[in-house]
Amino acid sequence: MPFAAPLALLGLAFLPLVVAFWMLKLRRTERTVGSTLLWQRFGEDLQANAPWQRLRRSFLLLLQLLLVILLALLAAQPFTERPATLARDLVVVVDASASMAATDEAPSRLEAARARVLDALRDLPAGGRVSVVVAGAKPRVVVNATADMGRVRAALAAITATPATADMGEALALASALAARAGDAQVLVATDAAFTPPRDVAVAAPVTVLQVGRERQNQAIVAFAVRSAPTAVTRSVFISVANLDLEPATERVELWGDGRLLEARDLFLDPVSRADVGIDDVPLDVRVLEARLAGDDQLALDDRAWAIVPPDRLLRILLVSAGDPYLETALSFLPNAELYGVKPADYGAGTKPELFDLVIFDAALPASLPRVPTLAIAPPRTSPLGTVTGTLNDPALGRPAPDEPLLRYVDLTTLHVARATRLALPAWARTVVPTAAGDPLLFTGARDGVATGVLAFEPRRSDLPLQVAFPILVSNLVGELVGASRAPTAAVAPGALVSLPIPSGASGVQVTRPDGTTLDLAPSVIGGATATFASTEQLGVYTVTPLGLTSVGAAPGESPAGSPTAGPTTTPGGSGSPSPIVVDPSAPVQFAVDLFDLNESTIAPGSAAALEGLGSATTGGPAGGAANERPPARNDLWIPLAAIALAFLVLEAFVFQRDALVRIRRRLGHGPGRRPSAGAA
Amino acid sequence: MERPTTNAAAATPADRPAGGHPAFLPSDVDPTVFDEDFLRRLERLAVLVRRPVRGGLKGGRRSVKRGQSVEFADYRDYSLGDDLRQLDWNVYARLEKLLVKLFIEEEDLTVALLVDGSASMAHGAPDKLVFAKRAAAALGYVALAAEDRVVLASLAGRTSRRRAALRGSGRAFRLLAELSAIQPAAGPTDLVAACRHALAQVTGRGVIVLVSDLLDPGAERALRDLAGTGSEVIVLHVLAPDEVTPTLEGDLRLVDAETGATVDVTLDLAARERYTDRVEAWRNELATLAAKRRIAYVPLTSDLPLADLVFAELRRRRVVG
Repeated sequence: MPFAAPLALLGLAFLPLVVAFWMLKLRRTERTVGSTLLWQRFGEDLQANAPWQRLRRSFLLLLQLLLVILLALLAAQPFTERPATLARDLVVVVDASASMAATDEAPSRLEAARARVLDALRDLPAGGRVSVVVAGAKPRVVVNATADMGRVRAALAAITATPATADMGEALALASALAARAGDAQVLVATDAAFTPPRDVAVAAPVTVLQVGRERQNQAIVAFAVRSAPTAVTRSVFISVANLDLEPATERVELWGDGRLLEARDLFLDPVSRADVGIDDVPLDVRVLEARLAGDDQLALDDRAWAIVPPDRLLRILLVSAGDPYLETALSFLPNAELYGVKPADYGAGTKPELFDLVIFDAALPASLPRVPTLAIAPPRTSPLGTVTGTLNDPALGRPAPDEPLLRYVDLTTLHVARATRLALPAWARTVVPTAAGDPLLFTGARDGVATGVLAFEPRRSDLPLQVAFPILVSNLVGELVGASRAPTAAVAPGALVSLPIPSGASGVQVTRPDGTTLDLAPSVIGGATATFASTEQLGVYTVTPLGLTSVGAAPGESPAGSPTAGPTTTPGGSGSPSPIVVDPSAPVQFAVDLFDLNESTIAPGSAAALEGLGSATTGGPAGGAANERPPARNDLWIPLAAIALAFLVLEAFVFQRDALVRIRRRLGHGPGRRPSAGAA
Repeated sequence: MERPTTNAAAATPADRPAGGHPAFLPSDVDPTVFDEDFLRRLERLAVLVRRPVRGGLKGGRRSVKRGQSVEFADYRDYSLGDDLRQLDWNVYARLEKLLVKLFIEEEDLTVALLVDGSASMAHGAPDKLVFAKRAAAALGYVALAAEDRVVLASLAGRTSRRRAALRGSGRAFRLLAELSAIQPAAGPTDLVAACRHALAQVTGRGVIVLVSDLLDPGAERALRDLAGTGSEVIVLHVLAPDEVTPTLEGDLRLVDAETGATVDVTLDLAARERYTDRVEAWRNELATLAAKRRIAYVPLTSDLPLADLVFAELRRRRVVG
């Protein structure tokens, strides 16, 4: 049997010491008794007057000798060897996506994956190093090339399934980069492979998949929305449930509002199909809705979904314009929006732009820009919105980004612009619509934390108002600029960034997660009106509370502009001042994070071969034949030895305390009682 | 039989001096051994001696001799010199034969109380010597009340110190004072030699009461010697409870209180149980020997209440009754 520390066997030299201790005479306590007549037969060492005595047979001595032998063996770290089947540098990728929380393998796929990784690590060569990559929404390295198996175990134990899609391609790329540093490397992927195998990823080491997961029985809520009913008295709820199993299923869908059960429906779901449920008559006073699937499937994460009922508040848009009927018409068609108009000459301190959700400057700019979301159209001069460098005549349009959200459903391929202001793109903005020369025609961004958009041309100087794209672009722009100043009302995907509004006067916001933990956020930029929140890993309802504000409960009479002077108007010539917004700025707002991911809800195990095919056939690195030079794997024997040593210690304690044990047994009434007669023979 | 009475009956706790000693006790009686409660118990004792014995003075015990009591025993022919007052004239009138009436003689009895005063008796809890003194006092008190002669001797070293013989219930306090004066010996005690010395000082047959822990190599020999005197021998074998069931534990060096000899022992539960077995076997051996020699052997522990000793143990063994 080989030993990792054979010098520790010198500890066996303690054996004679133990024997010597047993041969040493005890320092006995003297007690005077009436007579030693009856004790003389018990004087086992009666005649030993020397400091040494004859060694007596003792079970305790035997146990102590065995204990010394075991401790010496333990310190010498004995092990057995066998051929290693893993490379010397191992990169373990653990899938932490939502589907790994499935319970078809008890207690969960992630636990099974963890166990299989630990089992596989026993085949690591002696001195092998392990890196651990957690494949979540953002893959990360939690252990980097360590030979300390304790750290590896701790890191594996700390991995939890996140309700998000794992970026396996990125995780494998990370693993490949780690493997490429070593000569004899291997990538071990513990996953259910319930995803589309990443393409265009080449791993510079052999990939071995430890696959978990067997079944696919799962039903999921894949959509959950709430909208006002046409009657405007109640709200309607839309729930979409998907059966991802190959067997039909019956599920009960429950709708809860602010913790009360509002409605329950039984749904029959065909295999691999969706069923939609519409529920009307949701009370108006409900703020948080929750949909639940009451059935028992193998993935619980997607059986609940939350929705925040958006507050019924009209958007107030101030158009500062000399008059553009196209723009006014497009804005007036926006739902839930009130349009106010003022001429540039009338815009001033009395206009109270802070009472509006959006201020649009059409070919005009005030001396100082309001700190509310702003859309500037053809700014006439250089301002913080951008430096005017000239005029563009009949510019050719460039190609916007294909996934630009502002241009969703907007087709600008036939747009012609007669004249546009030439602007230099400020640092805070991104180009949405460029010219072919690269000049920005439309750009947006957060200027000092305030959502701001700039359209470099007046719509009437183009054929945009004549196109279907115009009202949609206006709607998208308003939604982008106004939406950025509010908490999101639509469901947020787990792990996604959320831009949270910071009310005027607040120093920041405090976010309360679904598990009750809180996080204080400061503005993204100094003096900004928004804060970015990224810790959206938990599913559920998040509550955002402004910090540094007191609840004022604003009343109409507290309007800084005094009493409303005019009603809404759609004519820019009117000078309207809206009534103050009856919303407490210190009131908390909420948003929901829902899974709504069919890919993750589809827990059917995928193909391990596809993943393994991404790896190279041989180990990477300069030493190609390193596999033949691997040291063998070791099986440490200290655990059974330690267990035996512990058993010996316990046994020794029992032997040493056997008198007390016998007394306890007798006191409890077990065993033979012994009561010597004291009075009579 | 008339019970001895003392002024102790009138003593009440209110009569006690500030020191707490019973007021009726003479100053030479150790109040820690013989307190008021003890004496009250003694007054309730009943007396029993088993067989007629040969005594000396006229007493209350039935003697083997014929004598002058009122209890008729037998007739015998008249011979010259007989007391004419003892002739049965009624028989002469009927049978014309001179017959003399014989009556049972009543003599006193010598009760020898041998109290072991060796150093080992001063050990144990409760104190064995105190227990021995009280047991001797009880028996002596009973004997005095029966108009018997009580001889007290303490055994220490190789000799016996005999006190003056006492007779009559009025000498009860003297007996108690004599018992109080017994102190444990400083050196070793040879029980055989001390017993022989005591027997040489006791005249006539009677009752010999030995109160001892018998922790002596010659204990059996001493018992044989006592049995050989022809007297009725009662052995009260007193051991302390912790000598019967020891509570010692661990690695100890036991020092003999008499000889200073030491014994190294390692005591655990099993060793203590072996010791207890050994004590039981030793007591059984002594009991067997006593039975063979017609000795009344009474094994006792020093925590036995006096009432239990007298009314239970000694009565059960027909020592008193």
